[in-house]
Amino acid sequence: MISLIRSEIYKIGKQSKTLYALAAILIIEGFVFLSAYYQGAGIIDLLLDNLKESFEFQGNLLNGNLIIYLILNSLWFHVPLILMIIISGFLTSEYKDKTIETVMLQPVSKLNFILSKYIVSIIFTLLIVLILAVTTFLISYWIFGYGDLVVYLDGLNFFESEDASYRLINAFLSGTITMVFFSVVSLTLAVILKDATKTWIVAAIFLICSNLLLKIDFNNEIINELFFSKLTDSWQYFFYYEVPYSSIYFKNILLLAYSILVMAIGVLIFKRRDIQG
Amino acid sequence: MILEARNICKSYGSLEVLKNVTIECHKGRIYGLIGANGAGKTTLFRILLGLIKQNSGSIAIDSEGIKPIGGIVEKPALYGYLSAYGNLKVFAQIQRLKLTKELFNESMHQVGLSPERKDAVKNYSLGMKQRLGLAIALLNNPDCIVLDEPFSGLDPMGISALHALIKKLSRENQITIIISSHIVSELADLCDMLYVLYDGEIIKSGSAARLLKENVTTFKISGKNLEMSEVLKNADAVFMNKSVLVSPKDSTISEVLQRLIEEGVEVTSCIPQTDLKALFGREGV
Repeated sequence: MISLIRSEIYKIGKQSKTLYALAAILIIEGFVFLSAYYQGAGIIDLLLDNLKESFEFQGNLLNGNLIIYLILNSLWFHVPLILMIIISGFLTSEYKDKTIETVMLQPVSKLNFILSKYIVSIIFTLLIVLILAVTTFLISYWIFGYGDLVVYLDGLNFFESEDASYRLINAFLSGTITMVFFSVVSLTLAVILKDATKTWIVAAIFLICSNLLLKIDFNNEIINELFFSKLTDSWQYFFYYEVPYSSIYFKNILLLAYSILVMAIGVLIFKRRDIQG
Repeated sequence: MILEARNICKSYGSLEVLKNVTIECHKGRIYGLIGANGAGKTTLFRILLGLIKQNSGSIAIDSEGIKPIGGIVEKPALYGYLSAYGNLKVFAQIQRLKLTKELFNESMHQVGLSPERKDAVKNYSLGMKQRLGLAIALLNNPDCIVLDEPFSGLDPMGISALHALIKKLSRENQITIIISSHIVSELADLCDMLYVLYDGEIIKSGSAARLLKENVTTFKISGKNLEMSEVLKNADAVFMNKSVLVSPKDSTISEVLQRLIEEGVEVTSCIPQTDLKALFGREGV
């Protein structure tokens, strides 16, 4: 298994699409920095226009913490979409090039092969989120400095600089679990569909539907609590004044359970199917 | 016996692709599987290699090695973005084989490739990819190699080089090789034994020389003054440019050739023509 994981990492390292994924993430990050640099002050003024009539604001609200929060919000759609496209490609490209047949002609078990794909996908996801987080924190604080964070979440919430940094780090950690879930889903879709384009379309639809379903109230407590799409926003909970830790732990543990279930389905399907590129 | 596939059946829905196929292969020999397109050759190979499961029947491979069987199905599938070294490294690593520089050089030399090339495999010709695919198939020294249409798309030089390599692997390394093709001439002087697959069934099997001889009814004779020959005219020969197709009925080909020489015809070659319809079909079964 270790040797399979090593060879998967070697292949990923040698593929240009890995660099494209990193570039895409950094480009999104760059756009947020640029728009914040040129338009950020105007947006903050627009947001706080009414409050400024009643309160006096001290310090610069357009600071590193706000920029990190803005980039953190790419976890809603941009980052999982890029991850789903790249990670499903780890398998669909093997089907397209029929290299999966050459792999299976070696003394390698199907179970170990697909498990190694899932493990490497999770490692890749962790690495991408880590790179996103590290570069975001470093560049944001370097260019925009420290300061209090203002967030609109069921109303405007203000956090002091140190508290904001702590909440942002935790939000990235919690968001990583959501990213792992989407990555695992995309690889399972690749197992089922085999074809890259079909997998991309279905993965994008899955992501959009998941985000839409998150906003829908099903009028059923069990569905509202347990349905997978209701579990993907726990990282946002760190921006309530009172962080609902028990709810975050519950959601993340359940989302991990969903990830394991989706992975188990993928493994079963892969094991039962014939290998044909 | 190194490999025995017995009563293999495979269906896709109502379509029966393989019907009770049985083949037996011995160590160090070259076996040919011939049949028209769609006869079931690739499906049988995929089953032998464990890529797909048969509906019924059994496969036994008498080998104690880590990799009892290796092969290439259809075209060699390689990681185009990796070099030859990168490909061998990946495929060696997944089977827990350490690719040392010595092993890499040995593997490349074994299949007649230069270990010096560092560029991506996507730049390789089909013949070179076939060779690299073979080098990957040979990792961990399998006892048996299955090659599906290995000559497809190769130029005459490539075919000749691959012939030599296959013979060398069989003779020197005692590897059992099973090759499929729908072109009889590719297998005629290479294989010890032939299996003929027709519509999912093995309809003929035996020594390659015997099977081909049994299905030769026509000879292509080339030479000078062929058109003057009364022997050929009386034998309903088909005249072509500087050659003629003869299907002797009441005499043997040696008798025909003897008469031609007596007539003063200068025969330069006489090539047996396999009757593909008879060989691939059920005629004469």
